[in-house]
Amino acid sequence: MRQAGTYSGILSGGISGRTGPHSLPLARIKKIMKKSGDDVKMISGEAPIVFSKACELFIKELTQRSWMVTMQGKRRTLNKEDVTSAVVATDIFDFLVNLVSEDSGDTVDATPLEMDTFTSSS
Amino acid sequence: MERGDGFNRFHKHAKSSSGLSVIQPGDSSNTNNGRNTANSNTMRPPCMVREQDQYMPIANVIRIMRRILPAHAKISDDAKETIQECVSEYISFITGEANERCQREQRKTITAEDVLWAMGKLGFDDYVEPLTVFLGRYRESESERTSLRGEPILKRGIDYGPMMMAPPYGPGFHMGHHHQGIFDAAAAAAAMGGFYRDGSGAAGSSSSQASLTNNFDPFGQFK
Repeated sequence: MRQAGTYSGILSGGISGRTGPHSLPLARIKKIMKKSGDDVKMISGEAPIVFSKACELFIKELTQRSWMVTMQGKRRTLNKEDVTSAVVATDIFDFLVNLVSEDSGDTVDATPLEMDTFTSSS
Repeated sequence: MERGDGFNRFHKHAKSSSGLSVIQPGDSSNTNNGRNTANSNTMRPPCMVREQDQYMPIANVIRIMRRILPAHAKISDDAKETIQECVSEYISFITGEANERCQREQRKTITAEDVLWAMGKLGFDDYVEPLTVFLGRYRESESERTSLRGEPILKRGIDYGPMMMAPPYGPGFHMGHHHQGIFDAAAAAAAMGGFYRDGSGAAGSSSSQASLTNNFDPFGQFK
């Protein structure tokens, strides 16, 4: 399956002002935005559209970093612990640390990853 | 988001059938369709329900993950769920910051620019440029859509500046329509013939109309 790059995905991904076949549902994004705080009042029409692309970038980055951990463990199944390791090793994912370690109850191993391939600004 | 609330939430929403579903381990095709799956083989206690409408649909999340992963990669179900939760947390995180900025500036509406600003502030500046390009393309395609349909573009309220192009016919020329819709060559030629006839009064109306339509390129500005 052809992998859409960050830029080329724009031209092929059905940007017609509505959700294309591969976009995330705008109404759901809006719902989550509203739930983020009691004082969220109005949301412009374009904000969920920006988020649909941003979430795609976010999922891709988190998945890539998690898969690096999987490979380091010489495994082929990406599991939750790999996601947890990736979160802990990435500064901008600090806001997720509580979320990913909630159910495990184990101490999280904060081994820094060898991230040269995927870090774009270091 | 408080996930420890599972038990209370279950009771609070016991009567509503939307958004509640019991996830089976290994049920990777679970999508939010509002059905209560009452299954006696549930391995989790009933209080551990996940309200699906607070997450992105897991099928979409999985599809995006697979675009990045090699073909032979497998993804465990708890990894899929974890990433699904992380996406929602990401949206909340960015929105919270964007909302704070709106409140500081006493604005009521969170705009796309607020979202982009919040991302830059919270460390996701690598995303800002591709998202800005994305937003620009989206706005362009929206304006093309409306101009082809013949609606006045200014009605849409998009603030990228006026897209009305100066009519190529010259000053003082009046046409029935003012947008770039279907160009009625005959009507324009007749009107133009009239305009020039008043000015010069030289050539006969039919020849001046012919020469004007020959030289006239209504879509020249699109080159």
